[in-house]
Amino acid sequence: MAEPAPSPPGEAPGTEEKPLLWVTRPLATAARQFAKSLWRPSTVIYPFERLEDPKFRGEVAVASGRPIGVGEIWDNYRGVHALNINTCISCNLCAFSCPDVCIEMVTVPGGDPKHPKKCPQIDYGKCSFCGFCSDACPEGCLSMTTRYELTAHKREEMVYSPAKMFEVYKSKLPMNPIRVERPKNEDQILLDPPICIGCNACARDCPTQCITMLDIPKTTPKPGEKVPKRIWKEPVINDSDCVRCGTCISVCPKDCLFWGTRQ
Amino acid sequence: MSEMWVNMGPQHPMTHGLWNLRVRIEGEVIKDVEPEMGYLHRGIEKISEDRHYNEIITLMDRTCYVAGLAWEQLFIVAAEQALHITPPERAEYIRVLSAEFQRIASHIMWYAAFVQDIGLMTPFLYGMRDRDLILDLFQSYTGGRLTYEYMRVGGVRNDLPLGLTDRCRKVCDWLMDRFVEYDRLCLSSTPFHERCDGLGVLEAPEAIAYGVTGPMLRSAGSRRDLRKDRPYSVYDKLQFDVATATTADVTGRYLVRMEEMRQAVRIIRQCLDWLDDHPGPVMAAQLPRWLGAPYAPVGNEAYLLKRNYPTGVGFSMVEEPHGEAGAYIVNDGGEHPYRVKFRSPVLINIWASKRYLPGYRVADIPPIMGSVDVCVGECDR
Amino acid sequence: MSTITLFSASDAIAAFLLAHIAYVFPAPVKGWITSGDVVLGLASLIFGVILLGASMINTIMLIWWERKLLGRFMDRRGAMHVGFAGLLQNFADGLKLFRKDTFRPSKADSLGFWMSPTAYMVTSVVIFGILPISTGWNGGSLPLTLLLALVIFSFAPLFIFLGAWASNNKYALIGGMRSAAQMIAYEVPILLAVVAVVVLSGSFNLTTIVLEQRNYWFWAPLFLALIVFLTGMLAEMERIPFDLPEAEAELVEGWNTEYGGMLFAFFMLADYVRYLVGSILVVLLFLGGWTLPTYVPSALTSFPLAGIFWFMVKAYLVFGGFVWVRASLPRIRTDQLLRLGWMRMVPLALLSVVLAALVVAAHCLPVLGCVPSMGG
Repeated sequence: MAEPAPSPPGEAPGTEEKPLLWVTRPLATAARQFAKSLWRPSTVIYPFERLEDPKFRGEVAVASGRPIGVGEIWDNYRGVHALNINTCISCNLCAFSCPDVCIEMVTVPGGDPKHPKKCPQIDYGKCSFCGFCSDACPEGCLSMTTRYELTAHKREEMVYSPAKMFEVYKSKLPMNPIRVERPKNEDQILLDPPICIGCNACARDCPTQCITMLDIPKTTPKPGEKVPKRIWKEPVINDSDCVRCGTCISVCPKDCLFWGTRQ
Repeated sequence: MSEMWVNMGPQHPMTHGLWNLRVRIEGEVIKDVEPEMGYLHRGIEKISEDRHYNEIITLMDRTCYVAGLAWEQLFIVAAEQALHITPPERAEYIRVLSAEFQRIASHIMWYAAFVQDIGLMTPFLYGMRDRDLILDLFQSYTGGRLTYEYMRVGGVRNDLPLGLTDRCRKVCDWLMDRFVEYDRLCLSSTPFHERCDGLGVLEAPEAIAYGVTGPMLRSAGSRRDLRKDRPYSVYDKLQFDVATATTADVTGRYLVRMEEMRQAVRIIRQCLDWLDDHPGPVMAAQLPRWLGAPYAPVGNEAYLLKRNYPTGVGFSMVEEPHGEAGAYIVNDGGEHPYRVKFRSPVLINIWASKRYLPGYRVADIPPIMGSVDVCVGECDR
Repeated sequence: MSTITLFSASDAIAAFLLAHIAYVFPAPVKGWITSGDVVLGLASLIFGVILLGASMINTIMLIWWERKLLGRFMDRRGAMHVGFAGLLQNFADGLKLFRKDTFRPSKADSLGFWMSPTAYMVTSVVIFGILPISTGWNGGSLPLTLLLALVIFSFAPLFIFLGAWASNNKYALIGGMRSAAQMIAYEVPILLAVVAVVVLSGSFNLTTIVLEQRNYWFWAPLFLALIVFLTGMLAEMERIPFDLPEAEAELVEGWNTEYGGMLFAFFMLADYVRYLVGSILVVLLFLGGWTLPTYVPSALTSFPLAGIFWFMVKAYLVFGGFVWVRASLPRIRTDQLLRLGWMRMVPLALLSVVLAALVVAAHCLPVLGCVPSMGG
């Protein structure tokens, strides 16, 4: 990199021709701002004035020089999650969609002992507030609010249990109203009938109860063929209720369910 | 006085991030420089290979933390090419609107930091104040102030809320007034010219030879702008001029960036008019399953192979606020990209400091490196 | 020692001691105390302590004043939570710095490292002892007060360079060298501007200079000298746009990079002491000191300590001007600074000396019917 050094500075055109004390305009600009901010500078005195405060929609916002309504910008904010435990169906989609793996499904009281109800618990130490979880939530029970203060003294306090997020839900903060539409050509859950053993696992764990086990005729084995050891039932999936959470795929012991498009 | 090496960084007020500029000086004259990057390397390209396409968007915001939407656009353009998806036109306009606002925000951030580097703190606060309004706008339709996570492969996450276009217009008017104020503080100030004129000269042939792009190249008189030369998205339908200067120095870069902000406002106004007249969907109707919001378990590996997803290669170049950014994505039919590669303009622009720094004085380093608009996040990725 | 006999504050304290305190002591002690020198020394000591306290409080208030003013220039508020309008913020900051550990880099030179902030502080504060604040309010009124003040004021580069060199740090070294070069270079225009004032007033005594401004303040005939003096003071004080020695963008903190805790607080306080001294000098030399124009209603000048009040108001306003400059101009480069000093400021200062001489000559011209107003 032994390049020749460029010519020394100070020889560029325009350096010498400048008037000597041409400093009046910056001085005047600063003075104008001084006069403007004597009444009220643009700063928001944060803990005492809050942008999400309805007061800011009015005179304070105008006085602070904001040309747009400040209250409106909070309609869509992605802050701390609010979880409605009552409508959560434990579909796991929030946990699946989380790019930071900060959502863990934990047991909450309310389910029956055999199939405990699980709701998301979010570790805000890891969360990046991308909003994929609330986008993914098929029931709209996990949404994001305008709360953004997360300071805590311990790391454990950064972990928000479902009960804590339910508290946020009950505090009636404005919630992000946006629901992302699901693509129209979404894949469906398909069944590979010969492999299925009719074990009922998918129907048992389906969060939306959209799988019903229907009786199928018992096949008579051909001579020399083994009789398959199975229950003579087969899952039938109601596509309009299915939220595409894939729980059935993950619990299927035989991997006979898969994603695909019905021809 | 004999020569000595001075480390400007990694913890130094000049660097705006974590990088190190080793300077060999004799007295106050720079003899040689050696930029050292890599302190902020997070392996974004490698992490991307293990993520769904939409999940990579969260990384793009963190690649360049002052131009998140521009990098989102960069990735999205390449990813849509690799996945053979065409977004609706309204989504394209929203993306251009976002990217141009992001360009203004980034340039204002540059202005604030740059002028503070040469010792004037007032523009920093003016700049941050005005940038805040753009962030308010972003917040009102993306939901985030710094990490937007707004664009999706095949469109954008949500449509613009009602009344946003009018708010955008108000902000544009406000900003045009502020640009005049910025110029009064800097261009009309003799000390500013004393500090900036004739510094860091990098003529166009050298800049091209080094691969330097963006405002640094345009300040040397080259009319290179990817939005014109290799139009992506809907830039070919919009009217704007390429901002250039002739002096190839720090003042030239200042002028180019200021003019680019004005041109960005011009583009934004056209986008707003178009968006007002053309409602419609913002997400492509036909998307592969794994690009929808939920990413449920894929199931058996054997079925994965059966699914016959499209394969392809995506390459995009985007005129990012700092220069020309590139993205290359290889899609081998899986749910994750096989390989992702980004080209950061800042990395090249910093590296060329071997050419444009020696010969000047130590006191010239802050204005010269400030005029490069260093964003270490994207430089180190 | 002085031909000018002025009522001075230490004399007042001495008189107070003699009249009200001395009688409580038994006769031999009383006799020793009242023996002239002792009571004067005691009075000077008491006055010094008062002065030190007042100057420190004023210095800290000056920081507050700068923070608030700068905030408004920058569309923000400045300190506002500790005390009323943030008045106590700087005391809190000082307390924090006081509690911090002071340490020395292992390879730094011990003597120079510790000595530099102390000496810088002392030489800065000592100037207050000879600056008249109002009629009679000064520690001592020598015939050459102005020269003495400027001499002490220009000690600073020595100690700055000492501290910078002793820190064994490259940034500090560069900053120290810049500081020395800049301060020495700007001595010349400052002194020339002062010569203009001296020519007009005919005295090196600051009190006399102020009293000579009873007809008109010197800024009007000596506008050029005022500009030169202000510019030179900006450079001497190392404030933006001439703060290259601590140009934080390239030199981290310049010559006090390695200083932390109370040592840094010393440097910072001494800096502000110098800002205050600089503002006071401007007021004394060009803005009529503690006097107000005659057309001002007498109610404004007749309340107790009115002189000190108006004097401080002027000094704070002058410092406000420095803050204004800081809010609007970027820092320039060393070579440009020196070029400005030698090639613009020195000729301007010489011109202003000539102008001052012309003004004096005009006074002396009998055709104009003017009476020479030479003091001294």
